[in-house]
Amino acid sequence: MIGVSLLIWTIVVYIAMRKLYARFYFPLLVPVATSTVVIIITLSLFHLSYEQYMTGGKWLAHLLGPAVVALALPLYQHRHTLKQFLWPLLCSTFFGTIIGMGSGLLFARLFHLPEQIVRSIIPKSVTSPVAMDIAKLIAGIPTLAAVYVMIAGIFGAMFGPIIFQRLHITTALGIGSGLGAASHGIGTAKALEIGKKEAAISSVAMTLSAIFASLLCPLLLLL
Amino acid sequence: MGITVIQIGGLYALYMIGSFIQQLLHVPIPGSMIGMLLLFLLLMTGIVKEKWVARGANMLLSHLTLLFIPATVGVMDYVELFSGKGIWSVVIVIVSTMMVMVFAGFIGQWAQTREQKRVREVKGA
Repeated sequence: MIGVSLLIWTIVVYIAMRKLYARFYFPLLVPVATSTVVIIITLSLFHLSYEQYMTGGKWLAHLLGPAVVALALPLYQHRHTLKQFLWPLLCSTFFGTIIGMGSGLLFARLFHLPEQIVRSIIPKSVTSPVAMDIAKLIAGIPTLAAVYVMIAGIFGAMFGPIIFQRLHITTALGIGSGLGAASHGIGTAKALEIGKKEAAISSVAMTLSAIFASLLCPLLLLL
Repeated sequence: MGITVIQIGGLYALYMIGSFIQQLLHVPIPGSMIGMLLLFLLLMTGIVKEKWVARGANMLLSHLTLLFIPATVGVMDYVELFSGKGIWSVVIVIVSTMMVMVFAGFIGQWAQTREQKRVREVKGA
């Protein structure tokens, strides 16, 4: 019963936060962030744990798998664009992945963070199921890795559009590869708000960086 | 509505098949990604028609943000990260994310502009 109420509450909060965002269109109000904050506040007000929340929340999380499968549709619809820009996409995501993992590793070492945290930070730019697998593979903490993935996603969705505006990145390929390579699925959800073409490119960028990261991560730690 | 639900069921089946393949082959790519590649191939070969999945897929994709919320709420079990030395890990993640965003964005932009110029030149010649 509590699960069902929390599920309904999540949907209600999401709809309300979408309306709020549509009204003010201010980056800090991006729905994934505001909804998360409102739900966490609700849970702590009622002294509910994350485990209890997930008895309802898992039904939404279950749909994440088929939603990733559904990304094949924009991929298919924009297959000509993707074919035309295959090489640039491979380049931007390959180097994007290296910069993401490399800078995470470097900064974390510079700040003398505990080794397990360092290893959980490295896969933060890729979609959470892959990041958790990578973290497991390199002796990080999978759940912590998922938290960093969410932070990368939320902040990317919040500030990506501002960064693109400031740096005059206006083309679909620029916006799509930036959001997909840096902020995976959450970035792709943001790209979908901007346009279908951006979303298609973003989903390719996200897929490619997940593949590159799984291949490169074990190598990176050998350095 | 019924059609949408059935189509989502179909996408779910592809996800299950993808996960099955992942476990079978022990590849470090998640099942959902394998399912996506599978659907892409099915669409490309014409075995699956676009309209068979379009409604369900668009339904899921237009509410992708909602589906991420249960995962992001998981941050609540790690609030201690946001106090003390742990806050640096959060700062690092944000800075590094912005670096990727700028870099990948620039390469993408540069490549597209160059490609479009090339296409124009070819057409002009």
